[in-house]
Amino acid sequence: MPEQEYQRLTRTRSRSAFAVAFVSRTSLWLGKDHLLCVDSSGYTETYKRFYFRDIQVITLVTTKRRTVWNGVLVVPIVICLAGLANSLFSLPREAGAVIVTWAIFSAVFIAPLLLNNLMGPTCTGYLRTAVQIEELPSLNRLRRARKVLERIRPFIIAVQGGFPPEEISARMRAAATSPDGTAMGSSVTLSPPPAADTPAAPPVIS
Amino acid sequence: MNTLIQCPQCQAWLLEGVFNQPELSPCPACGVPLQVEVFPALFRRINPGQSGETLLIEGESSCFYHPQKKAVLPCQGCGRFLCALCDCELNGQHFCPACLEAGKTKGKIKNLENQRTLYDSAALALVVVPLIPPLTFIGIYTTVITAPMAVFVAIRYWNAPRSLVHRTKIRFVAAIILALLQIAGWGLLFINLAGHHRS
Repeated sequence: MPEQEYQRLTRTRSRSAFAVAFVSRTSLWLGKDHLLCVDSSGYTETYKRFYFRDIQVITLVTTKRRTVWNGVLVVPIVICLAGLANSLFSLPREAGAVIVTWAIFSAVFIAPLLLNNLMGPTCTGYLRTAVQIEELPSLNRLRRARKVLERIRPFIIAVQGGFPPEEISARMRAAATSPDGTAMGSSVTLSPPPAADTPAAPPVIS
Repeated sequence: MNTLIQCPQCQAWLLEGVFNQPELSPCPACGVPLQVEVFPALFRRINPGQSGETLLIEGESSCFYHPQKKAVLPCQGCGRFLCALCDCELNGQHFCPACLEAGKTKGKIKNLENQRTLYDSAALALVVVPLIPPLTFIGIYTTVITAPMAVFVAIRYWNAPRSLVHRTKIRFVAAIILALLQIAGWGLLFINLAGHHRS
């Protein structure tokens, strides 16, 4: 069996939170030396490659999308449950078909509510390179996004080297005080990439 | 783009305390929990492009595109000598601009491909979409055209490059099977109608 060139990192997600069908869907894949963001319209696919050596920053920001969806779903659930209770306890008893109809309607709204909460907090992921800041719509749940980050971090570190948080803060302070907003001229030195023959080091991709 | 990082929510500059932390940290300005993973590429100096060295010695190898410039290496696509200006580096390989363009348009350099048509999905859609419930009443009649079209698309593009990330031909196979079933259904219907007409 031929070796898979790409490994799936996230399942396809729609670019828009309220879009269900007929819109571009996006997914994230792990390649040998890059991340592949696939935008699919169903009949065409558009690819964006983010090479590990070029990735500067990955940012995850928590959002209130889950709370908003909960609010949107709670209203019809309350209405359906009220209808169900009314048909169950009203005298004389209504036909079974009415009760079943209300129960089905309730389930239709309760299922996505449960799913929305089981999938955990929502977030938005951004990836920054030297020339762009790209939103990654498939990183829309914090748990999944952090798993993806854990998975790709060793590959990026293998190419670029490590970076202690204190060093970053020092460089940021230097950048904030420099007139052009860069820390290129600062005296802080970067840690070298880990040696390829270190057993604990991730594989170096050439 | 400078090296400073902004909070995506409030656009405030992030200076310390939030970088490469194991857990989410609040933005110092707006308080929204965020995780910022910074990599050394952020502080890497971008090398300026080279213009190519002028040829000084008679008989020295010159660039194919700029005869007055000194050749530094051959194109790995066509073998032509290139100066530093014409050298386009891609994943450790060196190409001339013409080979790079040809590689992109003809799909010869896979890493330059940024779009693909999914003929397998199109073939499958031709047989499935007409049968989706809201369209069924009208769609069922259109299958007399769409089913042969699906077979044609599946056979014509059987060897065409598929998605970069889905490797199987299962959609083509499913499209052909469903299309043949639809064609067989229409065939049986026409045979029955012809039989009734004769009797």
